[in-house]
Amino acid sequence: MLEAFQSSPTSPGARVLTPQEARIERGEPIGLVGDGAQSKRARIQRMLEGFREQPIRLNVERARLLTESMKTSEGQPMVLRWAKALAHILEHHPIHIEQDEILVGSAGPPGRYAVVYSELVGPGRFYTHPYELVPSKPGDPIEMTEQDVATLKEEILPYWEANSYHKAIMNALPEETRCLMERIFVVTPTASGRSMLAWAHDYEKVLERGIASIRDEAARRLDALDPFDAKAQVESRPFLEAVGLVGDAMIAFARRYGELAAAMAESEPGEERRRELREIAAVCQRVPEHPARTFHEAVQSQWFVQTVSRLEQAVGGVVGNGRIDQYLYPYYRQDIDEGRLTEDEALVLLESIWVGMARSVDVYAKPGMPSLTDGFAHWEATTVGGLTPDGRDASNELSYLILKSKREFPLNYPDLAARIHARTPNAFLHAVCETIKDGSGFPKLFCDDEIIPLLVAKGGTLEEANDYCITGCSETKMLNREGIATGCAWINLGAILEMTLRNGRMNCYGNSLVGLQTGDPRTFQSFDEMWNAFTRQLENVVRHTFIQQYVADTLKSRYIASPMFSMLHDLCMADCKDIHSGPIEGALYLGFFDVMGFGTVIDSLAALRTLVFEEGKLSMDTLLEALDHDFEGYEAVRQMCLNAPKYGNYDPEVDRIGHDIEARFIDLARAHKTAFGGELDLRYVSVTSHIPLGAVVGATPDGRKAREPLSESISPSQGRDVRGPTATLASISATKCAQHKERAARLLNMKLSPASIAGEAGTRKLMALVRTACDMRMWHIQFNIVNRDTLLAAQRDPEKYRNLLVRVAGYSAYFVDLTPALQSEIIRRTEHEF
Amino acid sequence: MVRDKDRKGVPKGLVFDIQKFSLHDGPGIRTVVFLKGCPLSCLWCSNPEGQGKAPELVYRRDRCIGTAQCGQCMEICLEQAIEVDPSGAVFIDRDRCNGCGDCSHVCPSQALEVSGRWVSVQEVLAIVEEDDAFYARSGGGLTLSGGEPLAQGAFSLALLRAARARGIDTAIETTGLCNWKTLREAASLADRIFFDIKCLASERHQRVTGVSNQPIVDNFRRLRDAFPDLETVVRTPIVPGVNDSEDEIQAIRGFVQRTGRGCRYELLPYHGFGGPKYATLGKRYTLTHLRPPSAARMQALQRVATLPHC
Repeated sequence: MLEAFQSSPTSPGARVLTPQEARIERGEPIGLVGDGAQSKRARIQRMLEGFREQPIRLNVERARLLTESMKTSEGQPMVLRWAKALAHILEHHPIHIEQDEILVGSAGPPGRYAVVYSELVGPGRFYTHPYELVPSKPGDPIEMTEQDVATLKEEILPYWEANSYHKAIMNALPEETRCLMERIFVVTPTASGRSMLAWAHDYEKVLERGIASIRDEAARRLDALDPFDAKAQVESRPFLEAVGLVGDAMIAFARRYGELAAAMAESEPGEERRRELREIAAVCQRVPEHPARTFHEAVQSQWFVQTVSRLEQAVGGVVGNGRIDQYLYPYYRQDIDEGRLTEDEALVLLESIWVGMARSVDVYAKPGMPSLTDGFAHWEATTVGGLTPDGRDASNELSYLILKSKREFPLNYPDLAARIHARTPNAFLHAVCETIKDGSGFPKLFCDDEIIPLLVAKGGTLEEANDYCITGCSETKMLNREGIATGCAWINLGAILEMTLRNGRMNCYGNSLVGLQTGDPRTFQSFDEMWNAFTRQLENVVRHTFIQQYVADTLKSRYIASPMFSMLHDLCMADCKDIHSGPIEGALYLGFFDVMGFGTVIDSLAALRTLVFEEGKLSMDTLLEALDHDFEGYEAVRQMCLNAPKYGNYDPEVDRIGHDIEARFIDLARAHKTAFGGELDLRYVSVTSHIPLGAVVGATPDGRKAREPLSESISPSQGRDVRGPTATLASISATKCAQHKERAARLLNMKLSPASIAGEAGTRKLMALVRTACDMRMWHIQFNIVNRDTLLAAQRDPEKYRNLLVRVAGYSAYFVDLTPALQSEIIRRTEHEF
Repeated sequence: MVRDKDRKGVPKGLVFDIQKFSLHDGPGIRTVVFLKGCPLSCLWCSNPEGQGKAPELVYRRDRCIGTAQCGQCMEICLEQAIEVDPSGAVFIDRDRCNGCGDCSHVCPSQALEVSGRWVSVQEVLAIVEEDDAFYARSGGGLTLSGGEPLAQGAFSLALLRAARARGIDTAIETTGLCNWKTLREAASLADRIFFDIKCLASERHQRVTGVSNQPIVDNFRRLRDAFPDLETVVRTPIVPGVNDSEDEIQAIRGFVQRTGRGCRYELLPYHGFGGPKYATLGKRYTLTHLRPPSAARMQALQRVATLPHC
């Protein structure tokens, strides 16, 4: 028909605002959203007021106490040294209870704070050189006082400079490997940037048994050690003693809060608050020492574990909340049934956790350094939905309540993840999609039907796999089964391509030799020759990546131990071993390496094949010259490159290149065993690193200019997927080597215009899209439902759009907190609207 | 090169676009196949590339990198139909252009493209079936649109027949101006039909679409008589100044009602999104200054349009 009007009868092409956008347009200040929420949860509302104006204060105290203790325990077993240090921190770290709080415990000073993890001193984490430390100026994102600087310089950093895990790794690397690692952002090791990758604790065990029970178990086993078993005396004894020390320290830490609350109650004039403080005191006397009896006790016990966890060590992405709708449910159900708890009271407790997480900011680098995780990202992944261990749908009233909170709670926490499976009830998926449509990008979605079989193939039991939780931005974890993963390396696929095109050299490193000399591409007679050169460069980079990972794995236990993490892990307790000292009997070691710039490189190879080798429209010489000149004066060449076939459009020829790249990586992964007998899997999660990684890569044959961002995660290059989301999903699916288990997260961001999914009909279509994405076995998918105009307006007028949340890559962040480069990158991502 | 039959003698179709993930052209997630050629030439047409019955050269000036850096199109054109224009881009002399498309093959920036490609039923189905998984979950499928899809009757019928044999849900969006036998056959093969009625006043219809509405009205009556149970949706594009009055909508609604129950009636507000396409075809868009109807106007008309027993 002639007109072919494609829009809905209600609002053809009109700009539809998401609820989030509408709130910003109305100029609403940050606060709880929804009918009467602000009055029903007034306590939370008050905590939120002015939240984002609060300064971020540096918590130097944890590092000072750690250092103080470590200096006194030189030479002792590492797990005992860390237990003593943690006990020292828990005994002396200043504590406070803020006005309005009913959930207590903080790993920092009042308000927003950032903990310094001095043991990770090094380029990956924090202030490499003490002399560069200066107090913050007004307007800096992080507040650092003169006292902070003095303490760091005099008491803390010199010790860790001399005991640096990072330096140890670099010193131990074979010469060739070290040279490659020193070329920043070709292979980026992150092992020394965090003690370990994403993690979640077995909170359920703490709630059910209490810390005292675990401590007592350690004591009994200590008594039972054979005095003539030398190995037990040397290895198991320090571990069990460490558990005892930390167990006592955690209980004492909670009691400190209890005493503070009781003391505050004495002088509290208000009767209501006095009663609350007394209740807090009673709860802190009870948990985490003993099993939780009520929802309040359960939430408080969980939060204490999380708080102590933050004080113990830095986990990549910060320790997650696990399957919160599962382990809290029995307490919730019982309290509701017995009339002890209302929905709003439950929400206040849950949202107290969210506030607590939002207060803790993760700083990796000093201001001005290239941003690896824009917007102070951290991911206390909070999982809802999915299957129960015995394979039934797990969603319950608490799952829905948490989704409701996500729609109504205005901060970018919790980092909510919903597990979707074939029998996820429509009602749950409907609630999930309505939450996504609010526009803040939550929840991110995980497909059980992809993940569970993979986890089983990797060695989990069905029961363990069914019970996985999300950790970090897109990883999964089988609690009590998996060992830790050391920080993974990021492989810059764009750099590998550049080395292929420049005979092993990279322009940004003064044209020096970085990779192998695989030949001048001008001499290549066929695409196969190009491909062979590319895979040789790739293999070389992967080889060194594996070597550095081996060094990082084996050296870590000489520097870092985590007795609290270990005491909550069944296998560590059984084996009497700290979690960092691999291999632990029975543990699965599922690490990974990240590949960045997948889309950029598929498109580049496709362009080379089409334009140079198949159609002969371009000579290799002309193309390389154009790349050398960053396409300046070669606009016609750039246009040909831009218009060559692209990944993300379900073009089988192009997608095949992606598949072959994945196959090459997986072959290498399959042939490799890690230091602890585990595997390193292929993963595509760039977070925001595709921006700094892109900055070292010259112009590429896909038409990308030098230094521009690479493509992000598993997504097609920004704006190059023009056939709609179904073709994008099909392409992504086509690149997967589904027959192999050495695969991990494939993170996918998808931008939809609010108009395309407006109304109830739109919700249904979004549900169908999600169901189909799961049928296609996507690992992960997340949506940005936001108008392009809104993003452009936010760039122009950041003040007005201060509260605009967008999905970045595995997390949501305030758009105005992101660097201009990332802002532009998000705007360029294809918006699907038909 | 241009063939209108495949090897087995099944007619090929001239298709100017295939859009996946279409959410507003029938139930679920759909793929819309746009067939080229239309007997109407509505003033407000948003797919002017769908009007002509032959492949047409499209020139997108914003993509052109200019003759200073390129100019390959001028070199290759045998008809000398491409000239430099004063701004340094190019100008297409439509009288000389024979639509051969040679220039589009050398254009590095895809500023020059040919709209309309002859494709077989199998080729179209292969693309449509790429999205099978989405249809299965959403209840979607294939929508034939245009242009006037039934103007390419043999191809459309072959496509619908093949889709039915393969269990694909189908919809047709038609102007209603086509051979009755084709429409009858199509209606027997499709799962639903979207039928446009622009206005009932014959003379006005002639003025704004270039054709009389009599055959359209007749076809609609026959369709309803012959297929009373076929899911049928009547659509009226609301174009200010043409048919945005309550009387007009009341009249169409009455007409639709008299053909029996079970027919939906939808109003689609005019939009000017197709306007910029006209220049790329060397055509002039006359409604540049026309604003879409207001939300309030649409609501008022919607109230009139709402049929009982829907």
